[in-house]
Amino acid sequence: MRLVVDNLSKEYRGKVQALRRVKLTLEAGVLGLLGPNGAGKSTLMRILATITQPSSGRVLWNETEIARDPDVLRAVLGYLPQDFGVYPNLNALEFLEYLAAVRGIAAAAARKRIGELLELVNLTDAAKRPLGGYSGGMRQRVGIAQALLNDPQLLIVDEPTAGLDPEERMRFRNLLSELSGERVVILSTHIVSDVEAVATEIAILSHGQLLAHDSPESLLASVSGRVWEVVVPSADLGALRLKHLVSSTAHRTDGVHARVLADAAPDRTARSLEPSLEDAYLAALSRQRHSTNGLAT
Amino acid sequence: MRQLRVIFAIARADFLERARRYSFFLTLLFAVILGYSAATGKITIRLGDYRGVYTSAWIGIMVAMVTTCFVSLVGFYVVKNAVDCDRQTGVGQILATTPLSKSSYLVGKFFSNFAVLASMVFILALSAIVMWFFAAEDPRFDLWALVSPFLLVALPAIALTASLALLFESLPVLRGGVGNVIWVFAWSLGIGLPELTGLPWLDASGLMTVSEQMMAAARTTIPGYTHGFSLGINLEPVTVAQTLRYQGIQWSKEEVFVRLIWFCVAFVLALLAALFFDRFDPACSLVPLLRRRKPQDQSPEAGDVLTLAASVTTARPPAAVHLTLLAGAAHTGAFGRLFAAELRLAVKGLRWWWYVVAAGLVAAQFFAPLELSRGPLLGVAWIWPILIWSAMGARESRFGTNELLFSSAWILRRQLPACWFAGVAVALLTGIGAAIRLFLAGQNASLMAWLAGALFLPSFALALGIWSGSSKPYEGLLTALWYIGPMNRTPGLDFTGAANGPITLRYSVIYLALSAALLTLAFFGRARQLRSD
Repeated sequence: MRLVVDNLSKEYRGKVQALRRVKLTLEAGVLGLLGPNGAGKSTLMRILATITQPSSGRVLWNETEIARDPDVLRAVLGYLPQDFGVYPNLNALEFLEYLAAVRGIAAAAARKRIGELLELVNLTDAAKRPLGGYSGGMRQRVGIAQALLNDPQLLIVDEPTAGLDPEERMRFRNLLSELSGERVVILSTHIVSDVEAVATEIAILSHGQLLAHDSPESLLASVSGRVWEVVVPSADLGALRLKHLVSSTAHRTDGVHARVLADAAPDRTARSLEPSLEDAYLAALSRQRHSTNGLAT
Repeated sequence: MRQLRVIFAIARADFLERARRYSFFLTLLFAVILGYSAATGKITIRLGDYRGVYTSAWIGIMVAMVTTCFVSLVGFYVVKNAVDCDRQTGVGQILATTPLSKSSYLVGKFFSNFAVLASMVFILALSAIVMWFFAAEDPRFDLWALVSPFLLVALPAIALTASLALLFESLPVLRGGVGNVIWVFAWSLGIGLPELTGLPWLDASGLMTVSEQMMAAARTTIPGYTHGFSLGINLEPVTVAQTLRYQGIQWSKEEVFVRLIWFCVAFVLALLAALFFDRFDPACSLVPLLRRRKPQDQSPEAGDVLTLAASVTTARPPAAVHLTLLAGAAHTGAFGRLFAAELRLAVKGLRWWWYVVAAGLVAAQFFAPLELSRGPLLGVAWIWPILIWSAMGARESRFGTNELLFSSAWILRRQLPACWFAGVAVALLTGIGAAIRLFLAGQNASLMAWLAGALFLPSFALALGIWSGSSKPYEGLLTALWYIGPMNRTPGLDFTGAANGPITLRYSVIYLALSAALLTLAFFGRARQLRSD
């Protein structure tokens, strides 16, 4: 299985450019799609899920262009949108049965699968309660279950852990890891730790542009030797921020411990740190900001 | 002063939000079409077989009465979402946490509703002025005579509509489709009540005041005229009474006072709505308290499985869950199962008494005299499921399940037809008593009309639901059509076919063709939704 995103652009009415010539090639594994709010992640997800038409460019699923024949992909697609609703008078079991029928899953297979999925998302006990009474997290879990209904070859999940408690979040991450072996999973989020836990590849999107698409190891290597811990008095923190990219701070008795991204040690007391994915992500965004500013000036 | 500022802010924000929607421009376009229909004589006031010379006053009154009747009826559906919009967007939750009082909120919404409807009235008033330039048969231009009916007849009436829409939204029972259906009857009652009771102070629409004054003028100027006043679509030729050069309503102080009182009534109704308004508290909704059930024991079966071991500790540690891999053959779900799922979705939430009434109507069709069975009884049986049909096509937008559904395969080939068949099944089942009677009586043409009606109702619903994304247009239009057609036995508009007499078969073919056209429209509408830009 192979998903190719070829020079994909999307312009909304009012000349809002959501995606600019995005190129990706994906095979089995988990792609973590990172980006700040408004980066174009959800637009990309919706195009890949055949909901939205691109302005230009193509998406190929196993060599078939999905804009021409979307049902080829839809038959093997599992999709969890960022925002979705449910029918409040149906219970979880009935809702999943309905969607299974819509997706053409045979009755016996659907019944078995739904039982397993409800167990998987920890909703067996609440399966016969009307969805109208579900909390946000429970509704999200129903969304996760419906995305897995048809045993999808391409699973697209947009901000899947929104509304989940830490326990359910971890459970979902494990689930994604287990599922990724034989399918393409695209996980879109702005929570770096979610991606860190499961992604085999990472793509960073900002202002509609693909800034990076690489393995986590390569991304980490790109900031290796550029992450420092500096201890400064609270009063000097502002000046440090002006000079360097500060990814996090922690107040201690000896001052503020700042995690700094810089090509060279910010001062003689600076201590080199092991880079994290969050550092790589912030560095990529920072590079884009600088190049944009450079172009502007 | 602070309260006034709050009310103004709410009214302004709500009006701007609605005025910037595409549907608002469609509403104004509808107003322009109405104005054009009046200007070209398609809609007119008749006094028996006559109409007066097109003076400023005649044109003003004619367009103002068209405005009053149509905007007060249709406008209700346009504005009956002021509170619901805040409920759906979640803005209501934010407002509920502020010191804003329920009455200030609803008064603000009332002014916004009024402003939306008043903008329609304004467009129609402009069209009356334009009409005077093109169609006037009397050269004297009298601005007050032209405009005063809009100010003193139309505006008070639409103020009442604006506040009643809020009251309906505040009452849980009337908030949904039931309220949309009831409105048509309430409006009809409001129009007819002053005439029936002879009480002019009940004349919110101003129709009685206007008709009595115009009829009085006609009696003195048209020889032989005694009575008769109608406002509507002009199907038959009308004689222009050259002697009737109507110069306008002579507004007495009392009459002006009574018209202005309706503004106060509307304001009081908006305040009354505050008594029932739940202030966005979901606990006050009509959704029955949810029952907790005992956990069910669902142990996974052995087979070709993928084992997923949850590695975290939970209050009730999750067991290892097995997800059965679906083979290719598992993706061959029969269409019948999807049809059953759509039918179940359509009727889900109906109470037992709904079925009792529907069954009672079927039994009545079966045992009542044939004319009664295929006429009024079938008519009632086919308005009873209106809320089932009105959800067709609009359900996905209403509940936000579009993306879940539209990312599935074969929506056009499977889900859309299944949804339509479910609607047809409801029509067939609720009207089955009359069909059996017609079959036994050998009335094949009438049976054909019955079938055409059964296909038309869900087709109309599906097309309107898909294109409007709301169930309101169908609820309003079908109720109006039902009232004019089956209930008033208007040939051609009676979708049960009972009023069509000897040309039943011809009308059946028309309804079948209309159903096919509506289905095609629904198909293209859904295809457009599936490939959104």
